[in-house]
Amino acid sequence: MGVTEELLAAQAEGLAAIEQAADLAALAAVRVAYLGKKGTLTAVLRGLGGLSAEERPAVGKVANEVRAALEAALAKRHEALSSAALEARLASEAVDVTLPGRAHPIGSRHLISRITAQVVEIFLGLGYRVAEGPEVELDYYNFTALNTPPDHPARSLADTFYVRDLSGDEAAVSGESDVLLRTQTSPVQVRTMEREKPPIYVLSPGRVYRRDIADPSHLPQFTQIEGLVVDEGITFADLKGTLDHFVHRMFGPDRKTRFRPHFFPFTEPSAEVDVSCGICDGAGCRFCKNSGWLEILGCGMVDPNVFGHVGIDSERYTGFAFGMGVERIAALKYNVPDLRMLVEGDMRFLRQF
Amino acid sequence: MRVSMSWLTELVDVGVPARELAERLDMTGTAVEAVHETGESLDGVVVGHILTRERHPEADKLWVTTVDVGDGTLRTIVCGAQNFDAGDKVPVALPGAVLPGGLEIKKAKLRGVVSEGMNCSARELGIGEDHEGLMILPPDAPVGVPFAEWYGAGDTVLELEITPNRPDCLSMAGVAREVGAVLGVPAKVPASQPVESGEEAAAACSVTITDADLCPRYAARIIRGVKVAPSPAWLADKVAAAGARPINNVVDVTNYVMFELGQPLHAFDLDKLAADSNGRVAITVRTARSGETLRTLDGVDRQLRSDTLLICDSSGPVALAGVMGGESTEVSETTVDVLLESACFDPASISRTSRSLGLVSEASMRFERTVDRTGCVAALDRAAALIAEVAGGQVAPGVVDEYPAPLQPRLLTLRLARVRGVLGIDLGAEEVAGILRSLGCDVEMGPESLQVTVPSFRPDIEREIDLIEEVLRIWGMERVEPTLPGGRGRIGMLTREQSLRERIGDVMRACGLNETMTYAFGDPRDPERCCMPFAEGELPVELLNPMSTEQAVLRRSLLPGLLASVSYNQRRGVSDVHLYEMGSVFWTSEGRKQPKERTMLAGVLAGAWHPPAWNAPAVPLDFFDGKGVIENLFRELAIPKLRVRACDAGHLQPGRAAEVLAGGEVLGWLGEVHPAVLERFEAHAPVVAFELDVRALVRLAADARPFVEPPRHPAVELDLAIVVDESVTAEEVERAIRSAGGKLLAETHLFDVYRGNGVEMGKKSLAFALEYRVPDRTLTAQEVESAHERLVRKVTTSVGGTLRS
Ligand SMILES: [Zn+2]
Repeated sequence: MGVTEELLAAQAEGLAAIEQAADLAALAAVRVAYLGKKGTLTAVLRGLGGLSAEERPAVGKVANEVRAALEAALAKRHEALSSAALEARLASEAVDVTLPGRAHPIGSRHLISRITAQVVEIFLGLGYRVAEGPEVELDYYNFTALNTPPDHPARSLADTFYVRDLSGDEAAVSGESDVLLRTQTSPVQVRTMEREKPPIYVLSPGRVYRRDIADPSHLPQFTQIEGLVVDEGITFADLKGTLDHFVHRMFGPDRKTRFRPHFFPFTEPSAEVDVSCGICDGAGCRFCKNSGWLEILGCGMVDPNVFGHVGIDSERYTGFAFGMGVERIAALKYNVPDLRMLVEGDMRFLRQF
Repeated sequence: MRVSMSWLTELVDVGVPARELAERLDMTGTAVEAVHETGESLDGVVVGHILTRERHPEADKLWVTTVDVGDGTLRTIVCGAQNFDAGDKVPVALPGAVLPGGLEIKKAKLRGVVSEGMNCSARELGIGEDHEGLMILPPDAPVGVPFAEWYGAGDTVLELEITPNRPDCLSMAGVAREVGAVLGVPAKVPASQPVESGEEAAAACSVTITDADLCPRYAARIIRGVKVAPSPAWLADKVAAAGARPINNVVDVTNYVMFELGQPLHAFDLDKLAADSNGRVAITVRTARSGETLRTLDGVDRQLRSDTLLICDSSGPVALAGVMGGESTEVSETTVDVLLESACFDPASISRTSRSLGLVSEASMRFERTVDRTGCVAALDRAAALIAEVAGGQVAPGVVDEYPAPLQPRLLTLRLARVRGVLGIDLGAEEVAGILRSLGCDVEMGPESLQVTVPSFRPDIEREIDLIEEVLRIWGMERVEPTLPGGRGRIGMLTREQSLRERIGDVMRACGLNETMTYAFGDPRDPERCCMPFAEGELPVELLNPMSTEQAVLRRSLLPGLLASVSYNQRRGVSDVHLYEMGSVFWTSEGRKQPKERTMLAGVLAGAWHPPAWNAPAVPLDFFDGKGVIENLFRELAIPKLRVRACDAGHLQPGRAAEVLAGGEVLGWLGEVHPAVLERFEAHAPVVAFELDVRALVRLAADARPFVEPPRHPAVELDLAIVVDESVTAEEVERAIRSAGGKLLAETHLFDVYRGNGVEMGKKSLAFALEYRVPDRTLTAQEVESAHERLVRKVTTSVGGTLRS
């Protein structure tokens, strides 16, 4: 058998072996067996030295063709085998994607602070800043400067928490004290007006206290957000526009507002603001006690007497103030049946929001 | 204030259905709390005649009555009221009747006696407030007739909430005037002039007022020869509709006129007042003298305070001025001559007396809010005429009217520009004037402003702004077009502290803690229960009127509240608890007025981060989970140099207690709560907790960390396991490594702590991963080797350890 025949025989044999290689390891072995240092093809080529100079080019060409054919077959088989191997591996690694993920649990924000932050954001957008103040206040800031008469029932021991005054000062009313837990965040507004000159646009969220027994709809401690604007040319129409904007952002653009005249010592004119019931859309249902409206805010134009207490010229400046209970908004927005849930720290409640 | 629609329509032409009127009132500042329909759902209620009344054999407070309801069968009805007698006629609800409150009447055994129905009070029938006794019907009420038929067709009653600034609306005439203004129709003011005869009133009594500030006016009339008896039906009905219990014709007239005109009146039995030798009664209005007492109408002996205003005769006090009459001079069935009082008292004085005696009456409630003193005599005349009409008798000529402090009419200027400036609406002078006139003001027009004379019954209108409010209220808030305040360069933003507090909350939640809120109140025993004593000189903030002894002070720490929440969860089977709270704590010191407040951040961790999962076991939380939260927090706030130093703290488990420091300043504490403390809160160990001063965190927080270029050259990583005494802290070893590593050591972190096989008792092996690297080139193996050798030598010497073999 001539060299050429040997080469062609090796090619046929090699191609068959490649075809039969079952996996990548077998294929590697075939490569070594034919193209390796001690491989069949290499051995044949080594025999080329014995050929004449005339024979060599022709045989050399055949040898190259055989090598190329084997290389090509190897590459093709390699690709087929490796993609099969990959598929097999991937198939073996498939998971049930419906199994739960591996997340480090993240915490939730308390409903009251969530709503407070929402309200703050709305008013930041209207150019307000956030003002804060002490929770244990002086009678002056909580009542007197807010135009509350000395014998107003809100000042009674039944309604307001008083704190022992260690300064030795005598209280104006026996049994009471000049120091108390603020019943509203309005004292912050008074302090702001004492400290700053108009224009004033502030929002004061914070904790307030009233002597109510904790029950599904009352807590002795709750959260209030009040707003105050003092500037030139502020009108009742501006108050309406501001609260309309707030209600639409907070409760949705379709909700309507209703202003009912009311009485508060520190504003005049004063109003209570209702928002149309989101459940019945104003038609009347059990949630809104058939009125179609839900009361959410108190508001009014700052009483000139209040400006008098803080030295703001009530002829030059006018202003408005409004206040809302965050717990009430929570109860309305989320239908929380019992406000006491808000202070119990029950993980099952907190994790819902 | 209960307003009967049928009564109201006598005074003003309402012309709209009650529901619509309620809506209009709501929108003009008079809140309507409820609208009741009466007389509608009273099927099964009939007029009954009580024939006998016997004590219940088994119960002191109950009566067994025999009642004739006109159907030929006498019924036994058990009854708890005390105000009736055999012979009285009362409304009787028979079995099957459903009362307005939803109560269904059934035949039932009451303490062993079968009751075949119920004798009713006015409140049970929804036609009055009175529930202290049965509704006693006039003797001529026809037995067996359906009650609703006899009582009259159904009426609608509006319950109005009258705000403290509107005393004028505490009368039917006042409400009628308000309704008139709201609807734009005129209202009537009821008035009567008595026919006078006999001896002059002045001959029978005189009045002396010692302090005109406390009593600006006192007017009296004398009516002789009255016959006290039950009121006629029309009068009893009106009084009941307004919410009072009919008593007798004279007293009912005084109540009727009070409800009608808002002027409280009091009737004395003239013959029981002490008279001088001429038979003349000298009334004196003065404050109490020390030791004086008075038995009031309700039979209670009252100790009088020196500021209590009294009506006295020559023998002493006969009534608490403006609050309640005395028992000894009360009008009774035997009364013949009456002294009728129509006076006015200082609101603050009445309020004090009423508060200090715990006695609130229809009269005191009106005086407290100011009664129009100009109306005293008109009310007196009206009442005298009505008494003469329903009780007979002669009204003595003349009024004894002591009026030392006449009310001066109030004149206000209302600028039209100011109306526009405050309300943002354009109103013409005529429109404004029209509104004010409908409210009873006299208005004089000027070019720019109106001169307004305020009616005497509106003490609340004192300033221009009060007039502006009235204008807006009646014109209609709803009609004001909303606008937004004009923009003049203002920026809404949070302060640095506010936004950092937001960020602190973000980090807590990112770490897996849930925000909570607990009470700011604390138990005075908390410092002891938690072993967290007050610092030297600090005192708890004490409430003078706490809701309970467990909430008698303000909290000094957030820990007790959070531990209570841990316990709350654990008792309900929730064992994984991760909570944080940001809130104020409070303390004070001797001589301090306003206490100190500080915002704190506290957290509690119990159980595991999550329940066992298919791919992650539940790992019990411990000290280091709390520390991890604080590490994250410091990282996010860019506070450099967090240090956690072991400490002794009573509330924390020894050996798992630490102070949290930054830059040498203690910011708070961290640790596992002492089991003894947990036991007092009924919580199960372990509970990891921390509490940090938010103000200090904010102060130390940096706005940004400096930029450091990420390394470009590879590091050589080597491990170092060193065996040291238990007493040597990881921090000490790490510090030794850093100082020995010099410039070549870029990073180091502890990755293993090992005790046990191969490590001597009382010692531990700490394994650190070290990264050697310099920024500008790749280190050679030789450089690293010699640096590491040097480091090992130095570290082992300085911390007294050996390399772990
Ligand atoms: Zn509704």
